[in-house]
Amino acid sequence: MPGPASGAPPRPQEEPKRAGSENLLVCLDPSPFSIPLIRATQRIADAQQAKWFAMYVETPSHDRLPRENQEQVAQALYLAAKLGAQAIKVSGFRIGDEILAFARENQVSKIFVGKPYARRWRRFLGLSLVDHLIWNCGPIDIFVISGEGEEALPVPPGPKPRLRLKEYLVAAGGVGVCTGLAFILFPYLALTNLAMIYLLTVVIISSFLARGPALFSSLFSVAAFAFFFVPAYYSFAVANTEYSITLLVMLLVSLLVSGLTARIRHQARVARTQERQTAALFGMSQNLTAMNSLEELLQIAVEQITRIFDCRVTMLMPGREDKLGIRAGQPFVDDDVREGMVAKWVFKHGHLAGAGTGTLSAVKGIYLPLIASQHVIGVLRLETHQPERILAADSLRLLEALGSQVGLAIERENLSRQAQAARLQIDAEQMRNTLLSSVSHDLRTPLTVIAGSASSLLEGEKNLDADTKHELAQSIYEEARRLDRLVYNLLEMSRLQSGEVKLNKEWNVLEEVIGSALTQLDPQLHDHPVSIALPADLPLVQVDALLMERVIINLLENSMKYTPSGTPLKISGRVQDKEIFMTVADRGPGLPVGQEERIFEKFYQVAPGSARGAGLGLTICRSIIEAHGGRIRAANRPEGGAVFSFTIPLAEGAPILDKHLPEMQKNHRDEADHPAD
Amino acid sequence: MKPIILLIEDDPRIRRFLRASLVTQGYELIEAGTGREGLALAASRVPEVVLLDLGLPDMEGLEVIKQLRSWSEVPIIILSARGQERDKVANLDAGADDYLTKPFGMGELLARIRVALRRAAPAEEDKQEAFYSLGPIRVDVERRLVFRGPEEVHLTPIEYKLLSVLLKHRGKVVTHRQLLKEVWGPSYVEQNPYLRIFILNLRRKLEDDPARPQYLLTEPGVGYRLREA
Repeated sequence: MPGPASGAPPRPQEEPKRAGSENLLVCLDPSPFSIPLIRATQRIADAQQAKWFAMYVETPSHDRLPRENQEQVAQALYLAAKLGAQAIKVSGFRIGDEILAFARENQVSKIFVGKPYARRWRRFLGLSLVDHLIWNCGPIDIFVISGEGEEALPVPPGPKPRLRLKEYLVAAGGVGVCTGLAFILFPYLALTNLAMIYLLTVVIISSFLARGPALFSSLFSVAAFAFFFVPAYYSFAVANTEYSITLLVMLLVSLLVSGLTARIRHQARVARTQERQTAALFGMSQNLTAMNSLEELLQIAVEQITRIFDCRVTMLMPGREDKLGIRAGQPFVDDDVREGMVAKWVFKHGHLAGAGTGTLSAVKGIYLPLIASQHVIGVLRLETHQPERILAADSLRLLEALGSQVGLAIERENLSRQAQAARLQIDAEQMRNTLLSSVSHDLRTPLTVIAGSASSLLEGEKNLDADTKHELAQSIYEEARRLDRLVYNLLEMSRLQSGEVKLNKEWNVLEEVIGSALTQLDPQLHDHPVSIALPADLPLVQVDALLMERVIINLLENSMKYTPSGTPLKISGRVQDKEIFMTVADRGPGLPVGQEERIFEKFYQVAPGSARGAGLGLTICRSIIEAHGGRIRAANRPEGGAVFSFTIPLAEGAPILDKHLPEMQKNHRDEADHPAD
Repeated sequence: MKPIILLIEDDPRIRRFLRASLVTQGYELIEAGTGREGLALAASRVPEVVLLDLGLPDMEGLEVIKQLRSWSEVPIIILSARGQERDKVANLDAGADDYLTKPFGMGELLARIRVALRRAAPAEEDKQEAFYSLGPIRVDVERRLVFRGPEEVHLTPIEYKLLSVLLKHRGKVVTHRQLLKEVWGPSYVEQNPYLRIFILNLRRKLEDDPARPQYLLTEPGVGYRLREA
């Protein structure tokens, strides 16, 4: 049946009214009259600007209702929610008490109920809901609404009488067996003890069978007892008044027992179901909180639901342009365009639909909306051959609970991702600010020197002696170099941070990398004697030579900046646990205690504003070393000065040092014989 | 006659400072702002050296080199920004002779130009020198002997070949690929690690402090350069 929920043309969802002082409550029952009842209540609520509730009390008998009626309840609740009510479903035994308790808790002033349809004898006994409400409502007004004059409704077929013939037979048989036993024991036992045997039978029967057969068994056993064992025998006539009291008490006790037993069984069943649901929900929530990506989360949710309901599960979520697409779970054959349409409808309306439900049931899948706090964020599709197994009240409730848990988990994940993005943005902002303040200072100092020296040269062309001119030109050159390094470090930093740098790893000789770094630093190194201690057989390493050179340059520059001129620097390296362990040590004042980690932070300077650099050199070192899978740290030497150490993992298959390659030698000889020039 | 240098560079400020310095140094400088203009000038004026900037507005530096190389052997010195090592190598392998990284000092530029001019001079090209000397290092080409100070240094044949290739290009950068090709042959051009090992050994035999080489210099990410005298 195409189209939205029966008799419920979609209306724009309205916020529950909060302006009015009144709270209204409409009581629903599993009949088609609930819908006109809801409509009527809505009109009144709207007119009075009142907040209203729609409530259904699920009694043990709810499970015995035919599917159509159960679906009617769901439809009614959904409609009420859509029309602005707060839809509530509670379980309980006495509908009237539950309603009144809720009404008192929520300051409800008016209760709307449908025209009573209770059977005449109940009405006569004052057992109808309306009577109960009216007698016990206190200050609350009760309105009885008749369904007449409302729009025509598709009235589903009435409740089918469900004769549990087999159970009645079992009950009768049980009483029969009991009667046989009583015959055997009759000579030995007093009459009251025989009655006890019958009561025991009733208890046993009613603890296994439904309420009807249980009642039947109690009546039947009293009748059998009266007929066979109460004088006058083989007749229902009672010889003694005392016996009639015995019979009456027996009847009442057995009726009570069968009723109580049925209730206990219901409670036990509810408890079992709740336990199962709680376990499933707990498992789900535990699994969902452990996830750290949306994909993982969806995957786990689908697996979990698949396991609980034993069916094919698919998670549909809107992708680009809000088009629903499969995000996790089993793909389904969507050659039936209706599947997609139903999914879309469910996504739009936030209401269960599909196979086995009362809405858009001509498809194979059951579609459940995944509702987060604000809106529908996805659709869960379940496909099975027995949709009614999933749509049974208990499992549907579990499914809905799981669905809302998944929905909230997804939303939480989305929110945390947004928060993460916001944090990154703030980080970037902060970095930009620090960068600007740090760089503007560090740029300005050399620029001042350059501009000043150059203008001195221009102005005093004639007055300056050759030495001064040379000195000025020299400082222009040096400051320009400094600026160049600063700009390079900044660019390198942003490249490294953005992950743009692809390591160009090759087998390299560390001695050469260090040598190249020293050559580049040569003009600055005259104040600091550098000694190098490397074993001659240090193996080749797989590194990006340019980046590794940058590490050495930055470490040396850093040491030079913070140590007095003339103090020595020492570079050493050795193999240690499948790594190369390199150190750059100085004899300077050492690091401030406790700052050994912080110095690797971006823009961190031991003495801020000292114009010694932008505080990027060590950060770059750390990025490069970590990209190579090594570690870098700084410490103070016990004998004074600081030591920076880093590791480079040794890779397998390094070309071997000091061994000439035969084929190359051979090739060389060939070439030597025929020199190619 | 003054040697003619063609400068292909789009930034007028860099042109200005190069003009000032190079003219003072006794070169005649002709300037082009685009690759096309530069190629036209290279054909009409026949310069002795070309200085080529890699960031031209109209064409890739590599394209200029290829077109120029299709009909001219003029030495080309690339002016590049830092961090373009791969470009540099590609350009050098495509036929450029040397490179300078911006910012560069005039001393470096003049040295590069001197080396390029010497290579371009055909008279000197033919003349095989019998002796080379680099500080304490002397190479007797005819007898294939190498001395460090008064002592003879024993080089393996391949080390000698390596040294002689570097000597042939002395003062000029030689890429890893060029060295491998000239020393070992075309099928070894990817064997950078072996080249590094041989260079290390050569340094250990020739340099005072192999970790701080004075003659056999590393050009990071590009290749090696033997210091010119």
